[in-house]
Amino acid sequence: MNLGELRSPSGLEDLYHPVMAEIKEIKRLTGMETYYRIELPGGEDLGHAPGQFVELSIFGVGEAPFSVSSSPTLKGSFELGVRRAGMLTDVLLRQKVGTKVGIRGPFGNGIDVEKFKGRDVLIVAGGIGLVPMRSMINYVIDNRGDFGKLIICYGSKSDQDLLFSDELKKWADDPDIDYHVTVDMGSETWKGNTGVITTLIPGLDLDLPNTVCCICGPPVMYRFVLLALKSKGLADENIYMSLERRMKCGVGKCGHCQINHSYVCQDGPVYDYPTIKSLQEAL
Amino acid sequence: MVQFFLDGDRVAGFVAHLMKQKPVYAPHRKGGNSYSFELTEKADDVVLDYPRTLHSVKKFFLPPHEELLRFDLTKNDYEPVDIPMTEAVFLGVHSYDLAAVGRLDYNFTVGSPEKNYLTRRQDAIFIGVSFTPDKYHFSGSVGIRPEDNLGCDVFLTRLFEGYVLEVLTSRGRKLVEGFPMPAHEAGKPVTGHFQQHIYVPQTKLGEIMAKSYDNPVWGETADKCVGCGTCNIVCPTCYCFNVEESVDITVTRGSRERHWDGCMLRKFSEVAGGEVFRESLASRQRHRVFRKFKYISDQTGQPWCVGCGRCSAYCTAGISIVSIVNRLIGDRERAAASMI
Repeated sequence: MNLGELRSPSGLEDLYHPVMAEIKEIKRLTGMETYYRIELPGGEDLGHAPGQFVELSIFGVGEAPFSVSSSPTLKGSFELGVRRAGMLTDVLLRQKVGTKVGIRGPFGNGIDVEKFKGRDVLIVAGGIGLVPMRSMINYVIDNRGDFGKLIICYGSKSDQDLLFSDELKKWADDPDIDYHVTVDMGSETWKGNTGVITTLIPGLDLDLPNTVCCICGPPVMYRFVLLALKSKGLADENIYMSLERRMKCGVGKCGHCQINHSYVCQDGPVYDYPTIKSLQEAL
Repeated sequence: MVQFFLDGDRVAGFVAHLMKQKPVYAPHRKGGNSYSFELTEKADDVVLDYPRTLHSVKKFFLPPHEELLRFDLTKNDYEPVDIPMTEAVFLGVHSYDLAAVGRLDYNFTVGSPEKNYLTRRQDAIFIGVSFTPDKYHFSGSVGIRPEDNLGCDVFLTRLFEGYVLEVLTSRGRKLVEGFPMPAHEAGKPVTGHFQQHIYVPQTKLGEIMAKSYDNPVWGETADKCVGCGTCNIVCPTCYCFNVEESVDITVTRGSRERHWDGCMLRKFSEVAGGEVFRESLASRQRHRVFRKFKYISDQTGQPWCVGCGRCSAYCTAGISIVSIVNRLIGDRERAAASMI
């Protein structure tokens, strides 16, 4: 690489300075997960696509990536679903409504909703993978006419760990949504399916090749869900996956989120399956 | 192009002439056998004949620790930190380190251009110097010769009794003005031969790397590697960083800072919940080498290794990136031969 004309730094925005955004609402979802609704200064829209993420920071504690859980159709604020997993999320849990946190983003490619339009949408979400997928689900619900069938498969460790239970009930009751849920281990009161998420897939009524699928879940889940979807006959190019990595800077610089040559914060976190196949480190 | 002769006895005088104009960063001897780019306080301290510095000039444009913002916990707000321009002369830079600056320029400009790096980098003036390859240098294999003056404002080619001084830019001419030197009429010498070689060019290396993902060399290298990250930290083209908060003792103020990080460290790819996506040292070694010869190279056509030899020279376990790459080449050649 030759030393060419250096790009002038004048007029460049600082990539690492957050805007201070206000927590407007906090709700406990489960023992481990909490919902936050956050408003940018002046109620400005985040302007995200389903599947994108933000970097949230608390001064003196740190900054980390979080998937946006609300649909772009929610105006004036956006939502996160946060699992308690470290120091930042611990401290976030102690914040009150009205507190301000640092927000950068949205980052990443998000789901290209145009590729889903006019087609049946299958969402496969495992555990906290429902948080980003909820953004897409609610986007489809709010633009119902643009999409075909909406099929949701959601798997969780137990019925106590089910996220957004009020919304799950609405989805289950909506005749326009083909909703399936399973838990690995149900409590005594659980009357639904028991078993891992892959057990939901063989019974699905899919209109191939008019179905486009998006998967998000823990790293271990993808291989097995893919096997199940492939045996249903879903084509590779109709399968998308949202992957988790350590997106520290969000702007393709810090290196932590690399999967082979790909920066997840730039090229991902949503990848189509043919691309995933070319990235040995992806799954 | 103007060529002068800088007598060896007048080097300190030349350094003093530069110091009158701008801060001068140049190689200084550290301890017995180590060299470091430092701000020159005494012209005599500058060493122009050195094998390599521990760190390249990268440390001035991407500092090992850099404040990104300062916060006030009592107000839950922050203020930006002034990013200083490095208006200075970098004297005695080897061609491979300048080539590395060119690569960093690319990394910090592509996609989202980064104000921090570009501001610090913007006003740097470079005076290069030729070097004699030692047993670790292999920059010749990645297209960088000891006498290359690409990116330099002034370049010094070592002669037995002094240097050929070439003025390459108008900024360079201004620097040299007022320091009379005789013109140099004769040609420039060739500056020595490399003892280390990678045996194929980058155009072929990309293909070889593509077929070397599962080569046993990654595991064999990992058996020796201790995962200390030295190779990342001394590399002039490594630019990965982590961001951390630092709070002062009154717990009222602090700063968000970035620090150099390295993909050889286990925690580099760790996410919340403890999953590590490059758990084995073998996978980390492969990632490091692929970052230098495949991933960015596929996009730019250039090796992202500049052949400085630092990762091999300073490796605590004696691992050589040249041996790794040549092993991959050899294995592919043997595999190709067995197909015939």
